[in-house]
Amino acid sequence: MGYLGGFKVTFMKLFEERVTTEYPKEKRPKPSRFHGRHVLNRYEDGMEKCIGCELCAGVCPARCIYVRGADNSESDPVSPGERYGYVYEINYLRCIHCDLCVEACPTEAITESKLFEFSFANRSDAIYTKNELVVGDDGLPQRQPWELWHEGDDLATSGWMRATASAGNPDYENRVGWSGELGYGTRDPELGQHDSASDEKPETLAHEHDQLEDVD
Amino acid sequence: MSEQDVTEVTVTVNGTEIEAQSGEMLIAAADRAGVHIPRFCYHERMSSVGMCRMCLVDVDTGRGPMLQPSCMVPVSEGMIVDTESDDTKRAQEGILEFLLVNHPLDCPVCDKGGECPLQDQTLAYGPGESRFIEEKRHYEKPIPISDLVHLDRERCILCDRCTRFADEIAGDPLIQFTERGNSTQVLTFPDEPFSSYFSGNTVQICPVGALTAAPYRFKARPWDLEENESTCTTCSMGCRISVQSSRNELVRYLGVDVESVNHGWLCDKGRFNFEAVNSDERLTSPFVRDPDNQRQLLGTDWGSALASSAEAIRRAGPQKVGIIGGSRLTNEDAYAWSKFARSVIGTDNVDAQLGDGLPAELVLGLPPATIADACEADTVLVIGPDLKEELAILHLRLRGAATKGRTQVVQIGAATTGSDSYAQRSIRCQTGEAAKTLSELLSSDDPLAKQLSDGSVVVILGRSSVAESVDPAVATAAVIQAELPHATFLVAVRRGNVRGALDMGLAPGFLPGRTRISNPSASLTEKWKQIPEKSGLGTSEMLQAAAAGQIETLILLGADPLSDFPDRNLAADAIQKTKTVIAIDNFATSSVAQADIVLPATAYGEQSGTTTNIEGRISRVAQKITSPGSTRDDWMIATELAWRLGGDLELTSKEDIWREIEQVAPSHAGITLERVQSSEMFEGILVQQSSIDLALPVPKDTPVADGYGLRLISGRKLWDAATTTEQSPSLRHLAESPSIKVHPNDLQRLGIPSGTEVRVISTRATENLTVTADDNVQRGTAILPFNQPGVGANRFIDATAVINDIRIETL
Repeated sequence: MGYLGGFKVTFMKLFEERVTTEYPKEKRPKPSRFHGRHVLNRYEDGMEKCIGCELCAGVCPARCIYVRGADNSESDPVSPGERYGYVYEINYLRCIHCDLCVEACPTEAITESKLFEFSFANRSDAIYTKNELVVGDDGLPQRQPWELWHEGDDLATSGWMRATASAGNPDYENRVGWSGELGYGTRDPELGQHDSASDEKPETLAHEHDQLEDVD
Repeated sequence: MSEQDVTEVTVTVNGTEIEAQSGEMLIAAADRAGVHIPRFCYHERMSSVGMCRMCLVDVDTGRGPMLQPSCMVPVSEGMIVDTESDDTKRAQEGILEFLLVNHPLDCPVCDKGGECPLQDQTLAYGPGESRFIEEKRHYEKPIPISDLVHLDRERCILCDRCTRFADEIAGDPLIQFTERGNSTQVLTFPDEPFSSYFSGNTVQICPVGALTAAPYRFKARPWDLEENESTCTTCSMGCRISVQSSRNELVRYLGVDVESVNHGWLCDKGRFNFEAVNSDERLTSPFVRDPDNQRQLLGTDWGSALASSAEAIRRAGPQKVGIIGGSRLTNEDAYAWSKFARSVIGTDNVDAQLGDGLPAELVLGLPPATIADACEADTVLVIGPDLKEELAILHLRLRGAATKGRTQVVQIGAATTGSDSYAQRSIRCQTGEAAKTLSELLSSDDPLAKQLSDGSVVVILGRSSVAESVDPAVATAAVIQAELPHATFLVAVRRGNVRGALDMGLAPGFLPGRTRISNPSASLTEKWKQIPEKSGLGTSEMLQAAAAGQIETLILLGADPLSDFPDRNLAADAIQKTKTVIAIDNFATSSVAQADIVLPATAYGEQSGTTTNIEGRISRVAQKITSPGSTRDDWMIATELAWRLGGDLELTSKEDIWREIEQVAPSHAGITLERVQSSEMFEGILVQQSSIDLALPVPKDTPVADGYGLRLISGRKLWDAATTTEQSPSLRHLAESPSIKVHPNDLQRLGIPSGTEVRVISTRATENLTVTADDNVQRGTAILPFNQPGVGANRFIDATAVINDIRIETL
């Protein structure tokens, strides 16, 4: 074979099925847990879910989130409870879409859509403010002129689950207990989540669940 | 327990033998040995109550191990303690589970979340999961219990810290437990808010988020706070604080526990006036008077503002320049201005006090005492202002010492004060006659006379009333020096760094290091190009000279004579007749608005350096945020002006300035820059206390009152129209509306019902004010607080008179 030996792998690959696609002409379906541009959700009554607690900003490894809380007015509250997110900004030049903010959020206020095709002509456009992040009156993400939305990018934006229990038990699987959402209502449990009809529990976890029955 | 009874005992904690003092609580001994026992109710500055049971540990005193609350068990010889036993752990888990039965899990919206002892200790000592699924106890979410503090009863774990603080430390028992059992809650009394001057401390010591401060509400979360250790300069107590900022904005001050000064406590004025630094009203660029329209100030650049300032100083010449103020400055800034005045301008017309303090001679020259001395002395003689209003934390320290029986407080004064409740004796005298009353007391056979002459005495001396001149205070000092030669003094001058400014020579006749102008140190004459030979004018004389047209350029160094000088008419006259008034300040105060050139200075929190407190203790002031606009440090303004006047201060940084201070000021010799930057500064470094020769002037006799007038007494209140209070949105409405207080019998004699508006007439002014009858006011006197919003007492006061009388007429 001599020097041709080195081309063996190359030649073999010529006859295999291609794994790359001709992006952007051709687009592949995105996985259901895809991390794209964030949205700030609302409850079914239109109240904002964000309470301005800054946990997302605190956990963000890229330091791209800036939140400030403020007192809700009694007559015209923005969110349920005492506090609401008065300022909410994400700098998309810094965001690495790690989703830690989503995990940290105690009210499921911030989640990620599947939109990733957006570009900016200047730096200030890259800083999304609350006006741009919060979902519209129909519960759907607001679309900015510089964003390329595709069918299904805005669906199941809150399809997430907590990975571990607060006590740190990695086998712990939370019950579906999330709140209703504007435009979607209360979502059904997904496959593999507790309370899901088609879900079959492995034997090892069943015991765990009996113990945790009274939790929450 | 007296000191002789204290013996060393050996206690075994977790297998290690530690030394402890008999009588001290186990938790305190463990703390010192570095063993942390979790706790909620225990606080080292307050008495133990054993309310929370979190500090249960296994204690074996020979009868086998049993769980005991370590904050209630005094150490004893041979005690064996296990803070990590299985029983202890079970107890800790149980207590935390119980506490969390009703504690809401609203940590994300709670201001304490992230720095919450309940959160932290639940994580460290609590069970992983809760077994309770029942509905928690519900109350109305935060209810304001005062203008500054919100109470969320759902979060309260009934640890008794706030109520104990209010009762034991502050002496304002305005919050208390109500109801029983599951409904037990902390509340105020009906229609009586928790209006304590110290309410902010309850927020700081609350181990949960039950008490939160309105000015900090939802401002930031603990993890985005940055902090620097600093010293509060709101008054001259020099309380150690932690300055906290978020995103280059001051959001909170917390008290730092130092033994020598504040024990961790702060007054609400000092704690919450950070809002002023963030105010939109700050001066951020220089201004000059519009030549075409004298009523208007025009924005300008630093170059031209400094050039016109230098020109005004040059034109006036050394004799016709005056510098008033300087107590807002750090020691370093004050030194630069002191050097600039003497060495470059060549004037000695400098005074950091605004005619409402005491002569610099007395402040610097009387035999000094520390705050700790006062708290340990047999007797503390208070002849001066109401400490609760003017030096609130000194009042707190004295109250603590007096209620624990360590010292006896004796007051001599014309009005009731906040110290009456814990004073051994409060002797009432006519205003201005404290010296006479004291010498009569000392020559009588009253047992108090013997107590004063035989025991140790610390005198807290100050101006009892701004409506009397300095003469009565000087006379009192003379009497004490003559008859109680062993007495030491804590001079109650209240403004920020006034003590440091006087130390740095911002007083007529004094050079840095408490030396007189006639006797400069050798190193000073070497460093300074010139030193005026004669003593210059103090603030009072400067303003009188200005009113007579003898001052051409007046520099207001963070001073507002229109509000703070006792005699507003004189100050207004002086400012109007002075050709050029240069104001260096943070805000457009009433005096700054009258100035011809305005130079914006950096404020507290934006500058670093040192400050000196009432007892001569130097401590650090730290920079935390950057200053707005083009504001500059005061020392930079001095060096710039010097440069333009053809001089050079040869000072290029604050470190530079401190090195020079250490060289030229005899009282500061040995306090090197290294020491100032070391951890020694946590407690602060006392300036060498060498008393200087006093030549006390012979005081004038107090004039006799006529039958028609009322003697005016005017002291300051904690909440007044001070610039930083006015500029803090949370504090500005706390000052009372001014009303003149008179004894009901006097009012009856005049035929005026209480609460009506009357005409108040003095030699200076005639104004309409509301009059209120008050039993606590002595007959023949009238009390009108100084510097209140609206009609302040300074309109009625003649600064040249020993005593001011007023008359009240119906409209």
